[in-house]
Amino acid sequence: MYVEGCQGARNEVWRSKLPQGRRHDNVDTGPASGLIGGVTDVWIAGAGMTRFGKREESLPALMAEASGLALSDAGIERPGSIVVAAMNPEEFTGEGNYGSLIATHLGLSHVPTIRVETATSSGMAAVYAGYALIASGLQDSVLVVGGEKMTHLPTPRVSEIIGRSIDAHERSYGSTMPALAGLITRAAMQRRGLTLKEISLVAVKNHANAARNPFAHFQEPVTLETVMESRLVADPLRLYHCCPMSDGAAAVVLRAEPAPVRIAGIGQGMESIAIRYRSDLTSFRATQVAAEAAYRMAGFGSERVDVAELHDAFTPFELLSLEDTGLVPPGKSGRAILDGDTAIGGRLPVNPSGGLKARGHPLAATGVSQIVELVWQLRGLAEGRQVDARIGLAQSIGGLATNNWVALLERRR
Amino acid sequence: MTQDVLGASRCPRCRRVVAPPALMCPDHPVVMEPHLVPAVGEVVSFTTLYSPPEGFRSPLHIAIVELDGGARLFCHGEETRGVKIGSRVSVEDVNSIFYFSHMGFAARARLFWRRTGYRGEKVAAIGKSFVKGFWKGTSREDR
Repeated sequence: MYVEGCQGARNEVWRSKLPQGRRHDNVDTGPASGLIGGVTDVWIAGAGMTRFGKREESLPALMAEASGLALSDAGIERPGSIVVAAMNPEEFTGEGNYGSLIATHLGLSHVPTIRVETATSSGMAAVYAGYALIASGLQDSVLVVGGEKMTHLPTPRVSEIIGRSIDAHERSYGSTMPALAGLITRAAMQRRGLTLKEISLVAVKNHANAARNPFAHFQEPVTLETVMESRLVADPLRLYHCCPMSDGAAAVVLRAEPAPVRIAGIGQGMESIAIRYRSDLTSFRATQVAAEAAYRMAGFGSERVDVAELHDAFTPFELLSLEDTGLVPPGKSGRAILDGDTAIGGRLPVNPSGGLKARGHPLAATGVSQIVELVWQLRGLAEGRQVDARIGLAQSIGGLATNNWVALLERRR
Repeated sequence: MTQDVLGASRCPRCRRVVAPPALMCPDHPVVMEPHLVPAVGEVVSFTTLYSPPEGFRSPLHIAIVELDGGARLFCHGEETRGVKIGSRVSVEDVNSIFYFSHMGFAARARLFWRRTGYRGEKVAAIGKSFVKGFWKGTSREDR
Protein backbone atom coordinates (compact mmCIF):
# COMPACT_ATOMS: atom_id res chain seq x y z
CA MET A 1 0.00 0.00 0.00
CA TYR A 2 1.07 3.54 -0.63
CA VAL A 3 2.14 5.26 2.59
CA GLU A 4 4.42 8.18 1.81
CA GLY A 5 1.63 10.72 1.53
CA CYS A 6 0.47 12.46 -1.59
CA GLN A 7 1.94 10.98 -4.72
CA GLY A 8 1.26 14.24 -6.50
CA ALA A 9 3.62 16.05 -4.16
CA ARG A 10 6.36 13.51 -4.77
CA ASN A 11 5.81 14.06 -8.44
CA GLU A 12 6.22 17.83 -8.16
CA VAL A 13 9.78 17.38 -6.94
CA TRP A 14 10.68 15.32 -9.97
CA ARG A 15 8.78 17.37 -12.45
CA SER A 16 11.12 20.28 -11.79
CA LYS A 17 14.11 18.07 -12.61
CA LEU A 18 12.82 16.83 -15.95
CA PRO A 19 13.66 18.69 -19.13
CA GLN A 20 10.41 20.39 -20.04
CA GLY A 21 8.98 20.22 -23.52
CA ARG A 22 12.19 18.99 -25.06
CA ARG A 23 12.16 18.18 -28.77
CA HIS A 24 8.44 18.58 -29.25
CA ASP A 25 7.79 22.05 -27.94
CA ASN A 26 6.32 23.15 -31.27
CA VAL A 27 3.11 21.26 -30.50
CA ASP A 28 0.60 22.21 -27.85
CA THR A 29 0.33 19.12 -25.67
CA GLY A 30 -1.91 20.79 -23.14
CA PRO A 31 -1.52 20.17 -19.43
CA ALA A 32 0.16 16.93 -18.31
CA SER A 33 -2.44 14.28 -18.89
CA GLY A 34 -4.10 12.78 -15.84
CA LEU A 35 -3.22 12.70 -12.21
CA ILE A 36 0.06 11.12 -11.20
CA GLY A 37 -0.32 7.75 -9.54
CA GLY A 38 -3.36 6.38 -7.78
CA VAL A 39 -4.79 5.44 -4.41
CA THR A 40 -2.67 2.32 -4.04
CA ASP A 41 0.49 0.85 -5.49
CA VAL A 42 0.05 -1.84 -8.15
CA TRP A 43 2.00 -5.10 -7.94
CA ILE A 44 2.54 -7.88 -10.46
CA ALA A 45 1.73 -11.08 -8.61
CA GLY A 46 1.91 -13.51 -11.54
CA ALA A 47 3.21 -13.73 -15.09
CA GLY A 48 3.01 -16.32 -17.86
CA MET A 49 3.12 -16.68 -21.61
CA THR A 50 2.89 -19.27 -24.35
CA ARG A 51 5.72 -20.08 -26.70
CA PHE A 52 5.51 -17.62 -29.62
CA GLY A 53 5.62 -18.79 -33.24
CA LYS A 54 3.39 -20.77 -35.55
CA ARG A 55 0.82 -22.38 -33.26
CA GLU A 56 -1.92 -24.85 -34.10
CA GLU A 57 -4.16 -23.90 -31.15
CA SER A 58 -6.99 -21.37 -31.40
CA LEU A 59 -6.57 -17.89 -29.93
CA PRO A 60 -8.87 -18.60 -26.94
CA ALA A 61 -6.80 -21.73 -26.21
CA LEU A 62 -3.54 -19.72 -26.35
CA MET A 63 -5.01 -17.04 -24.08
CA ALA A 64 -6.21 -19.73 -21.67
CA GLU A 65 -2.72 -21.26 -21.56
CA ALA A 66 -1.09 -17.91 -20.72
CA SER A 67 -3.84 -16.96 -18.24
CA GLY A 68 -3.57 -20.30 -16.43
CA LEU A 69 0.17 -19.86 -16.01
CA ALA A 70 -0.19 -16.29 -14.70
CA LEU A 71 -3.04 -17.13 -12.31
CA SER A 72 -1.26 -20.14 -10.83
CA ASP A 73 1.94 -18.07 -10.53
CA ALA A 74 -0.10 -15.53 -8.54
CA GLY A 75 -1.76 -18.29 -6.54
CA ILE A 76 -5.32 -17.19 -7.28
CA GLU A 77 -8.13 -18.96 -9.09
CA ARG A 78 -10.57 -16.14 -9.76
CA PRO A 79 -9.45 -12.54 -10.40
CA GLY A 80 -11.73 -9.63 -9.52
CA SER A 81 -11.70 -8.46 -13.13
CA ILE A 82 -10.23 -9.35 -16.55
CA VAL A 83 -8.77 -7.09 -19.24
CA VAL A 84 -8.37 -8.71 -22.67
CA ALA A 85 -6.14 -7.29 -25.41
CA ALA A 86 -6.63 -8.40 -29.02
CA MET A 87 -5.89 -6.10 -31.94
CA ASN A 88 -8.14 -7.54 -34.59
CA PRO A 89 -9.54 -11.00 -33.80
CA GLU A 90 -12.67 -10.09 -35.81
CA GLU A 91 -10.67 -10.24 -39.04
CA PHE A 92 -7.95 -12.70 -38.06
CA THR A 93 -10.29 -15.31 -36.59
CA GLY A 94 -13.80 -14.16 -37.50
CA GLU A 95 -14.96 -13.88 -33.90
CA GLY A 96 -16.08 -10.84 -31.95
CA ASN A 97 -17.29 -9.89 -28.46
CA TYR A 98 -13.85 -10.97 -27.40
CA GLY A 99 -13.99 -10.00 -23.72
CA SER A 100 -16.97 -12.24 -23.03
CA LEU A 101 -15.64 -14.97 -25.31
CA ILE A 102 -12.37 -15.21 -23.37
CA ALA A 103 -14.00 -14.93 -19.93
CA THR A 104 -16.31 -17.82 -20.80
CA HIS A 105 -13.47 -19.84 -22.30
CA LEU A 106 -11.47 -19.39 -19.08
CA GLY A 107 -14.38 -20.66 -17.00
CA LEU A 108 -14.70 -17.17 -15.52
CA SER A 109 -17.86 -16.12 -17.33
CA HIS A 110 -19.17 -14.09 -14.36
CA VAL A 111 -15.97 -12.07 -13.86
CA PRO A 112 -16.29 -8.47 -15.18
CA THR A 113 -14.25 -8.28 -18.40
CA ILE A 114 -13.36 -5.52 -20.85
CA ARG A 115 -11.39 -5.58 -24.10
CA VAL A 116 -8.80 -2.91 -24.92
CA GLU A 117 -7.35 -1.99 -28.32
CA THR A 118 -4.65 0.50 -29.38
CA ALA A 119 -3.34 -1.30 -32.50
CA THR A 120 0.01 -3.04 -31.97
CA SER A 121 0.41 -1.66 -28.44
CA SER A 122 -2.93 -3.13 -27.27
CA GLY A 123 -1.16 -5.39 -24.78
CA MET A 124 0.41 -2.50 -22.92
CA ALA A 125 -2.85 -0.55 -23.07
CA ALA A 126 -4.50 -3.52 -21.33
CA VAL A 127 -1.81 -3.45 -18.64
CA TYR A 128 -2.59 0.24 -18.21
CA ALA A 129 -6.33 -0.48 -17.90
CA GLY A 130 -5.55 -3.14 -15.29
CA TYR A 131 -3.21 -0.73 -13.52
CA ALA A 132 -5.97 1.90 -13.45
CA LEU A 133 -8.50 -0.58 -12.01
CA ILE A 134 -6.19 -1.41 -9.11
CA ALA A 135 -4.68 2.04 -8.55
CA SER A 136 -8.14 3.60 -8.37
CA GLY A 137 -9.25 1.09 -5.77
CA LEU A 138 -11.99 -0.33 -8.00
CA GLN A 139 -10.49 -3.84 -7.95
CA ASP A 140 -7.86 -5.64 -5.91
CA SER A 141 -6.89 -8.25 -8.50
CA VAL A 142 -6.97 -8.08 -12.30
CA LEU A 143 -5.97 -10.64 -14.93
CA VAL A 144 -4.50 -8.94 -18.01
CA VAL A 145 -4.23 -11.21 -21.05
CA GLY A 146 -3.18 -10.31 -24.59
CA GLY A 147 -2.94 -12.53 -27.65
CA GLU A 148 -3.17 -12.76 -31.40
CA LYS A 149 -3.50 -15.57 -33.92
CA MET A 150 -2.43 -14.73 -37.47
CA THR A 151 -0.16 -17.32 -39.09
CA HIS A 152 -3.10 -19.40 -40.38
CA LEU A 153 -3.83 -16.66 -42.96
CA PRO A 154 -1.75 -15.96 -46.12
CA THR A 155 0.94 -13.30 -45.58
CA PRO A 156 -0.53 -10.64 -47.95
CA ARG A 157 -3.86 -10.89 -46.12
CA VAL A 158 -2.14 -10.48 -42.73
CA SER A 159 -0.19 -7.45 -44.04
CA GLU A 160 -3.40 -5.94 -45.28
CA ILE A 161 -5.18 -6.39 -41.92
CA ILE A 162 -2.23 -4.91 -40.00
CA GLY A 163 -1.97 -2.15 -42.62
CA ARG A 164 -5.43 -0.90 -41.73
CA SER A 165 -3.88 0.84 -38.75
CA ILE A 166 -2.28 3.25 -41.28
CA ASP A 167 -3.90 6.54 -42.33
CA ALA A 168 -6.27 5.93 -45.28
CA HIS A 169 -4.64 8.49 -47.59
CA GLU A 170 -1.17 7.08 -47.00
CA ARG A 171 -2.49 3.55 -47.40
CA SER A 172 -3.96 4.50 -50.78
CA TYR A 173 -0.36 4.91 -52.01
CA GLY A 174 0.37 1.28 -51.25
CA SER A 175 1.98 2.11 -47.89
CA THR A 176 2.35 -0.88 -45.61
CA MET A 177 4.02 -0.94 -42.20
CA PRO A 178 7.40 -1.89 -43.78
CA ALA A 179 7.00 0.95 -46.32
CA LEU A 180 6.49 3.57 -43.59
CA ALA A 181 9.31 2.04 -41.56
CA GLY A 182 11.49 2.22 -44.68
CA LEU A 183 10.72 5.95 -45.04
CA ILE A 184 11.58 6.52 -41.38
CA THR A 185 14.75 4.43 -41.59
CA ARG A 186 16.01 6.29 -44.68
CA ALA A 187 15.41 9.63 -42.94
CA ALA A 188 17.13 8.38 -39.76
CA MET A 189 20.15 7.13 -41.71
CA GLN A 190 20.51 10.48 -43.43
CA ARG A 191 19.68 12.84 -40.58
CA ARG A 192 20.93 10.88 -37.55
CA GLY A 193 23.74 8.94 -39.15
CA LEU A 194 22.44 5.44 -38.42
CA THR A 195 24.25 2.91 -40.59
CA LEU A 196 23.12 -0.31 -42.22
CA LYS A 197 25.60 -2.18 -40.05
CA GLU A 198 24.16 -0.75 -36.84
CA ILE A 199 20.56 -1.63 -37.69
CA SER A 200 21.69 -5.09 -38.83
CA LEU A 201 23.60 -5.69 -35.58
CA VAL A 202 20.34 -5.20 -33.67
CA ALA A 203 18.91 -8.22 -35.52
CA VAL A 204 22.06 -10.26 -34.80
CA LYS A 205 21.89 -9.41 -31.09
CA ASN A 206 18.16 -10.11 -30.74
CA HIS A 207 18.38 -13.42 -32.58
CA ALA A 208 21.27 -14.43 -30.29
CA ASN A 209 19.13 -13.54 -27.25
CA ALA A 210 16.11 -15.44 -28.60
CA ALA A 211 18.25 -18.54 -29.05
CA ARG A 212 18.49 -18.53 -25.24
CA ASN A 213 14.73 -18.03 -24.74
CA PRO A 214 12.57 -21.18 -25.05
CA PHE A 215 9.47 -18.98 -25.56
CA ALA A 216 10.88 -17.24 -28.65
CA HIS A 217 9.69 -17.69 -32.24
CA PHE A 218 13.25 -17.97 -33.63
CA GLN A 219 15.64 -20.33 -31.85
CA GLU A 220 18.65 -19.89 -34.14
CA PRO A 221 21.29 -17.13 -34.13
CA VAL A 222 21.96 -15.31 -37.42
CA THR A 223 25.16 -13.79 -38.81
CA LEU A 224 25.66 -10.18 -39.82
CA GLU A 225 26.13 -11.28 -43.46
CA THR A 226 22.78 -13.12 -43.48
CA VAL A 227 21.03 -9.99 -42.24
CA MET A 228 22.80 -7.55 -44.56
CA GLU A 229 22.33 -9.76 -47.61
CA SER A 230 18.71 -10.78 -47.00
CA ARG A 231 16.24 -9.57 -49.63
CA LEU A 232 15.08 -5.96 -49.75
CA VAL A 233 11.58 -5.43 -48.38
CA ALA A 234 11.30 -1.64 -48.31
CA ASP A 235 14.59 -0.05 -49.26
CA PRO A 236 16.75 0.31 -47.11
CA LEU A 237 14.98 -2.26 -44.88
CA ARG A 238 15.74 -5.91 -45.54
CA LEU A 239 13.84 -9.02 -44.51
CA TYR A 240 15.96 -9.60 -41.38
CA HIS A 241 15.30 -6.03 -40.20
CA CYS A 242 11.58 -6.84 -39.88
CA CYS A 243 9.78 -8.81 -37.19
CA PRO A 244 7.98 -12.05 -38.12
CA MET A 245 4.27 -12.84 -37.93
CA SER A 246 3.63 -14.98 -34.89
CA ASP A 247 0.87 -16.52 -32.81
CA GLY A 248 0.90 -16.43 -29.04
CA ALA A 249 -0.48 -15.01 -25.83
CA ALA A 250 0.87 -13.55 -22.60
CA ALA A 251 -0.75 -12.71 -19.27
CA VAL A 252 -0.04 -10.99 -15.96
CA VAL A 253 -1.98 -10.79 -12.71
CA LEU A 254 -2.02 -7.37 -11.05
CA ARG A 255 -2.81 -6.98 -7.37
CA ALA A 256 -3.10 -4.30 -4.72
CA GLU A 257 -1.37 -6.65 -2.29
CA PRO A 258 2.46 -6.39 -2.33
CA ALA A 259 4.26 -8.89 -4.55
CA PRO A 260 7.92 -9.08 -5.69
CA VAL A 261 7.53 -6.58 -8.59
CA ARG A 262 5.76 -3.20 -8.63
CA ILE A 263 4.59 -1.10 -11.57
CA ALA A 264 6.47 2.07 -10.64
CA GLY A 265 5.26 4.14 -13.57
CA ILE A 266 3.28 3.85 -16.77
CA GLY A 267 2.69 6.52 -19.41
CA GLN A 268 1.01 6.96 -22.76
CA GLY A 269 1.93 9.21 -25.67
CA MET A 270 -0.04 10.05 -28.78
CA GLU A 271 0.87 11.22 -32.27
CA SER A 272 -1.12 11.84 -35.43
CA ILE A 273 -2.02 8.66 -37.32
CA ALA A 274 -0.74 10.32 -40.53
CA ILE A 275 3.03 10.37 -40.70
CA ARG A 276 2.87 13.25 -43.19
CA TYR A 277 1.55 15.41 -40.33
CA ARG A 278 4.75 14.93 -38.30
CA SER A 279 7.51 17.48 -38.43
CA ASP A 280 10.19 14.94 -37.47
CA LEU A 281 10.30 11.42 -38.86
CA THR A 282 13.40 10.33 -37.00
CA SER A 283 12.12 10.34 -33.44
CA PHE A 284 8.78 9.30 -32.02
CA ARG A 285 7.15 12.03 -30.01
CA ALA A 286 4.63 9.50 -28.69
CA THR A 287 7.46 7.53 -27.04
CA GLN A 288 9.07 10.67 -25.62
CA VAL A 289 5.80 11.82 -24.05
CA ALA A 290 5.05 8.32 -22.69
CA ALA A 291 8.55 8.01 -21.21
CA GLU A 292 8.34 11.43 -19.60
CA ALA A 293 5.00 10.51 -18.00
CA ALA A 294 6.31 7.14 -16.77
CA TYR A 295 9.48 8.63 -15.24
CA ARG A 296 7.41 11.37 -13.63
CA MET A 297 5.06 8.82 -12.07
CA ALA A 298 7.94 6.63 -10.91
CA GLY A 299 9.84 9.52 -9.41
CA PHE A 300 13.17 8.52 -10.96
CA GLY A 301 14.89 8.95 -14.28
CA SER A 302 16.37 6.83 -17.07
CA GLU A 303 19.71 6.48 -15.27
CA ARG A 304 18.19 3.92 -12.88
CA VAL A 305 16.97 1.55 -15.61
CA ASP A 306 18.93 -1.75 -15.66
CA VAL A 307 17.18 -3.65 -18.45
CA ALA A 308 14.79 -2.68 -21.26
CA GLU A 309 12.31 -4.37 -23.57
CA LEU A 310 11.83 -2.11 -26.60
CA HIS A 311 9.45 -2.35 -29.56
CA ASP A 312 11.83 -3.47 -32.35
CA ALA A 313 9.16 -4.35 -34.94
CA PHE A 314 11.81 -2.98 -37.32
CA THR A 315 15.36 -3.07 -35.98
CA PRO A 316 16.08 0.68 -36.44
CA PHE A 317 13.17 1.31 -34.04
CA GLU A 318 15.19 -0.23 -31.21
CA LEU A 319 17.88 2.40 -31.76
CA LEU A 320 15.39 5.28 -32.12
CA SER A 321 13.51 4.06 -29.02
CA LEU A 322 16.71 3.91 -26.95
CA GLU A 323 17.09 7.63 -27.56
CA ASP A 324 13.38 8.50 -27.26
CA THR A 325 13.19 6.86 -23.82
CA GLY A 326 16.34 8.72 -22.74
CA LEU A 327 18.25 5.48 -22.08
CA VAL A 328 21.10 6.71 -24.26
CA PRO A 329 21.83 10.33 -25.16
CA PRO A 330 20.62 11.58 -28.56
CA GLY A 331 22.82 10.32 -31.39
CA LYS A 332 24.54 7.63 -29.28
CA SER A 333 22.37 4.57 -29.98
CA GLY A 334 24.50 3.43 -32.92
CA ARG A 335 27.57 3.53 -30.71
CA ALA A 336 25.73 1.53 -28.03
CA ILE A 337 24.98 -1.39 -30.36
CA LEU A 338 28.46 -1.31 -31.94
CA ASP A 339 30.08 -1.44 -28.48
CA GLY A 340 27.83 -4.27 -27.28
CA ASP A 341 26.37 -2.12 -24.48
CA THR A 342 22.87 -3.45 -25.17
CA ALA A 343 23.77 -7.15 -25.31
CA ILE A 344 23.13 -9.52 -22.39
CA GLY A 345 26.11 -8.79 -20.13
CA GLY A 346 26.43 -5.25 -21.48
CA ARG A 347 25.92 -2.03 -19.56
CA LEU A 348 22.19 -1.89 -20.42
CA PRO A 349 20.78 -5.15 -21.82
CA VAL A 350 18.01 -4.44 -24.35
CA ASN A 351 15.52 -7.09 -25.45
CA PRO A 352 17.10 -10.04 -23.60
CA SER A 353 13.98 -11.98 -24.68
CA GLY A 354 14.87 -11.51 -28.35
CA GLY A 355 12.46 -8.60 -28.80
CA LEU A 356 9.74 -8.46 -31.42
CA LYS A 357 12.41 -9.25 -33.97
CA ALA A 358 13.14 -12.75 -32.71
CA ARG A 359 10.78 -13.58 -29.83
CA GLY A 360 8.04 -12.80 -32.33
CA HIS A 361 5.23 -10.26 -32.58
CA PRO A 362 1.73 -11.61 -31.98
CA LEU A 363 0.40 -8.01 -31.97
CA ALA A 364 -1.67 -7.66 -28.77
CA ALA A 365 0.40 -10.29 -26.93
CA THR A 366 3.58 -8.29 -27.39
CA GLY A 367 3.07 -5.53 -24.81
CA VAL A 368 2.06 -8.04 -22.14
CA SER A 369 4.96 -10.35 -23.05
CA GLN A 370 7.42 -7.48 -22.54
CA ILE A 371 6.06 -7.10 -19.00
CA VAL A 372 6.28 -10.90 -18.49
CA GLU A 373 9.94 -10.90 -19.58
CA LEU A 374 10.78 -8.00 -17.24
CA VAL A 375 9.01 -9.72 -14.32
CA TRP A 376 11.07 -12.86 -14.96
CA GLN A 377 14.27 -10.83 -15.26
CA LEU A 378 13.57 -8.89 -12.04
CA ARG A 379 12.61 -12.05 -10.14
CA GLY A 380 15.66 -13.97 -11.39
CA LEU A 381 13.58 -16.49 -13.34
CA ALA A 382 14.95 -15.81 -16.85
CA GLU A 383 16.99 -18.95 -17.10
CA GLY A 384 19.73 -18.86 -19.73
CA ARG A 385 19.43 -15.11 -20.36
CA GLN A 386 19.31 -13.68 -16.82
CA VAL A 387 20.61 -10.16 -16.30
CA ASP A 388 21.27 -8.40 -13.02
CA ALA A 389 18.46 -5.88 -12.71
CA ARG A 390 16.24 -4.11 -10.21
CA ILE A 391 14.46 -1.70 -12.54
CA GLY A 392 13.15 -2.56 -15.99
CA LEU A 393 11.60 -0.46 -18.74
CA ALA A 394 9.16 -1.67 -21.39
CA GLN A 395 8.16 0.38 -24.42
CA SER A 396 5.38 -0.49 -26.85
CA ILE A 397 4.50 1.17 -30.16
CA GLY A 398 0.93 1.22 -31.46
CA GLY A 399 0.41 1.61 -35.20
CA LEU A 400 3.31 3.53 -36.69
CA ALA A 401 4.11 5.21 -33.36
CA THR A 402 0.64 6.74 -33.01
CA ASN A 403 -0.22 5.35 -29.56
CA ASN A 404 2.85 4.45 -27.53
CA TRP A 405 3.41 3.29 -23.98
CA VAL A 406 6.29 3.17 -21.54
CA ALA A 407 6.14 1.18 -18.30
CA LEU A 408 8.67 1.02 -15.48
CA LEU A 409 8.85 -2.02 -13.21
CA GLU A 410 10.71 -2.13 -9.92
CA ARG A 411 11.72 -5.13 -7.84
CA ARG A 412 10.83 -4.86 -4.18
CA ARG A 413 13.87 -4.20 -2.04
CA MET B 1 3.10 19.49 -67.50
CA THR B 2 3.75 20.81 -64.01
CA GLN B 3 0.77 22.26 -62.20
CA ASP B 4 1.42 25.44 -60.35
CA VAL B 5 -0.58 24.85 -57.19
CA LEU B 6 -2.19 22.04 -55.24
CA GLY B 7 -5.24 22.16 -52.98
CA ALA B 8 -4.51 22.13 -49.26
CA SER B 9 -6.07 23.41 -46.07
CA ARG B 10 -4.85 25.69 -43.31
CA CYS B 11 -5.65 25.89 -39.63
CA PRO B 12 -6.97 29.37 -38.80
CA ARG B 13 -5.47 29.07 -35.31
CA CYS B 14 -1.94 27.71 -35.79
CA ARG B 15 -1.54 28.45 -39.54
CA ARG B 16 -0.49 24.88 -40.12
CA VAL B 17 -0.98 23.71 -43.71
CA VAL B 18 -1.89 20.11 -44.61
CA ALA B 19 -2.44 18.43 -47.96
CA PRO B 20 -4.63 16.96 -49.30
CA PRO B 21 -7.30 19.17 -47.69
CA ALA B 22 -8.59 17.92 -44.33
CA LEU B 23 -11.61 18.93 -42.29
CA MET B 24 -9.93 19.36 -38.89
CA CYS B 25 -6.50 20.59 -37.87
CA PRO B 26 -4.46 17.65 -36.50
CA ASP B 27 -3.39 19.75 -33.51
CA HIS B 28 -6.52 21.76 -32.75
CA PRO B 29 -10.23 20.92 -32.75
CA VAL B 30 -10.75 23.66 -35.35
CA VAL B 31 -12.22 23.44 -38.87
CA MET B 32 -9.55 24.25 -41.45
CA GLU B 33 -9.91 26.75 -44.29
CA PRO B 34 -9.11 26.06 -47.98
CA HIS B 35 -5.61 27.00 -49.06
CA LEU B 36 -3.31 26.59 -52.06
CA VAL B 37 0.35 25.55 -52.02
CA PRO B 38 2.96 25.54 -54.80
CA ALA B 39 3.43 22.12 -56.40
CA VAL B 40 7.17 21.99 -55.80
CA GLY B 41 9.11 20.89 -52.78
CA GLU B 42 11.88 18.85 -51.24
CA VAL B 43 12.04 15.11 -50.70
CA VAL B 44 11.80 14.34 -46.96
CA SER B 45 12.26 10.59 -47.41
CA PHE B 46 11.62 7.89 -49.97
CA THR B 47 11.50 4.14 -50.23
CA THR B 48 11.04 1.39 -52.77
CA LEU B 49 8.67 -1.35 -51.73
CA TYR B 50 9.42 -4.80 -53.12
CA SER B 51 6.40 -6.60 -51.69
CA PRO B 52 3.60 -4.09 -52.22
CA PRO B 53 0.02 -4.83 -51.20
CA GLU B 54 -2.61 -6.06 -53.63
CA GLY B 55 -3.34 -3.65 -56.45
CA PHE B 56 0.23 -2.33 -56.74
CA ARG B 57 3.14 -3.56 -58.80
CA SER B 58 6.66 -4.12 -57.50
CA PRO B 59 8.90 -2.15 -57.29
CA LEU B 60 6.71 0.60 -55.85
CA HIS B 61 8.37 3.97 -55.29
CA ILE B 62 6.90 6.11 -52.50
CA ALA B 63 8.19 9.46 -51.30
CA ILE B 64 7.21 12.06 -48.72
CA VAL B 65 7.64 15.54 -50.20
CA GLU B 66 7.56 18.74 -48.18
CA LEU B 67 5.99 21.37 -50.41
CA ASP B 68 7.30 24.91 -50.34
CA GLY B 69 4.02 25.99 -48.73
CA GLY B 70 4.70 23.80 -45.70
CA ALA B 71 2.49 20.74 -46.22
CA ARG B 72 3.91 17.24 -46.57
CA LEU B 73 2.54 14.86 -49.20
CA PHE B 74 2.74 11.19 -50.01
CA CYS B 75 3.67 10.71 -53.69
CA HIS B 76 4.33 7.99 -56.16
CA GLY B 77 7.27 8.25 -58.51
CA GLU B 78 8.41 6.51 -61.63
CA GLU B 79 11.97 6.25 -60.37
CA THR B 80 14.02 6.95 -57.26
CA ARG B 81 17.43 6.70 -58.92
CA GLY B 82 19.22 10.00 -58.45
CA VAL B 83 16.71 11.11 -55.82
CA LYS B 84 18.20 12.14 -52.48
CA ILE B 85 16.72 13.45 -49.27
CA GLY B 86 16.52 17.18 -49.94
CA SER B 87 16.18 16.80 -53.73
CA ARG B 88 13.94 19.40 -55.38
CA VAL B 89 10.96 17.73 -57.03
CA SER B 90 7.80 18.88 -58.70
CA VAL B 91 4.50 17.27 -57.79
CA GLU B 92 1.63 16.57 -60.12
CA ASP B 93 -1.93 15.65 -59.28
CA VAL B 94 -3.36 13.04 -61.65
CA ASN B 95 -6.85 11.89 -60.69
CA SER B 96 -6.19 12.84 -57.06
CA ILE B 97 -3.00 10.78 -56.88
CA PHE B 98 0.21 12.72 -56.45
CA TYR B 99 3.33 11.95 -58.46
CA PHE B 100 6.76 13.44 -57.95
CA SER B 101 9.39 13.92 -60.57
CA HIS B 102 12.99 14.84 -60.05
CA MET B 103 13.88 18.30 -61.24
CA GLY B 104 17.13 18.58 -63.08
CA PHE B 105 19.05 21.85 -63.28
CA ALA B 106 17.25 22.96 -66.43
CA ALA B 107 13.81 22.30 -64.93
CA ARG B 108 14.78 24.13 -61.77
CA ALA B 109 16.12 27.08 -63.73
CA ARG B 110 12.87 27.27 -65.71
CA LEU B 111 10.89 27.13 -62.52
CA PHE B 112 12.72 29.98 -60.85
CA TRP B 113 12.70 31.99 -64.07
CA ARG B 114 8.91 31.79 -64.03
CA ARG B 115 8.50 32.31 -60.31
CA THR B 116 10.73 35.06 -59.02
CA GLY B 117 10.25 38.77 -59.75
CA TYR B 118 13.03 40.84 -61.33
CA ARG B 119 15.62 39.49 -63.71
CA GLY B 120 18.42 39.85 -61.15
CA GLU B 121 16.38 37.97 -58.55
CA LYS B 122 15.71 35.21 -61.04
CA VAL B 123 19.38 34.67 -61.72
CA ALA B 124 20.19 34.82 -57.99
CA ALA B 125 17.47 32.26 -57.21
CA ILE B 126 18.72 29.89 -59.89
CA GLY B 127 22.27 30.24 -58.65
CA LYS B 128 21.22 29.70 -55.04
CA SER B 129 19.22 26.61 -55.90
CA PHE B 130 22.15 25.22 -57.86
CA VAL B 131 24.59 25.80 -55.00
CA LYS B 132 22.13 24.35 -52.50
CA GLY B 133 21.64 21.25 -54.63
CA PHE B 134 25.37 20.84 -55.05
CA TRP B 135 26.02 21.24 -51.31
CA LYS B 136 23.34 18.68 -50.46
CA GLY B 137 24.78 16.24 -52.93
CA THR B 138 28.24 16.37 -51.45
CA SER B 139 27.65 16.55 -47.70
CA ARG B 140 25.27 13.67 -47.11
CA GLU B 141 26.55 12.34 -43.82
CA ASP B 142 26.55 15.61 -41.88
CA ARG B 143 24.07 15.95 -39.06
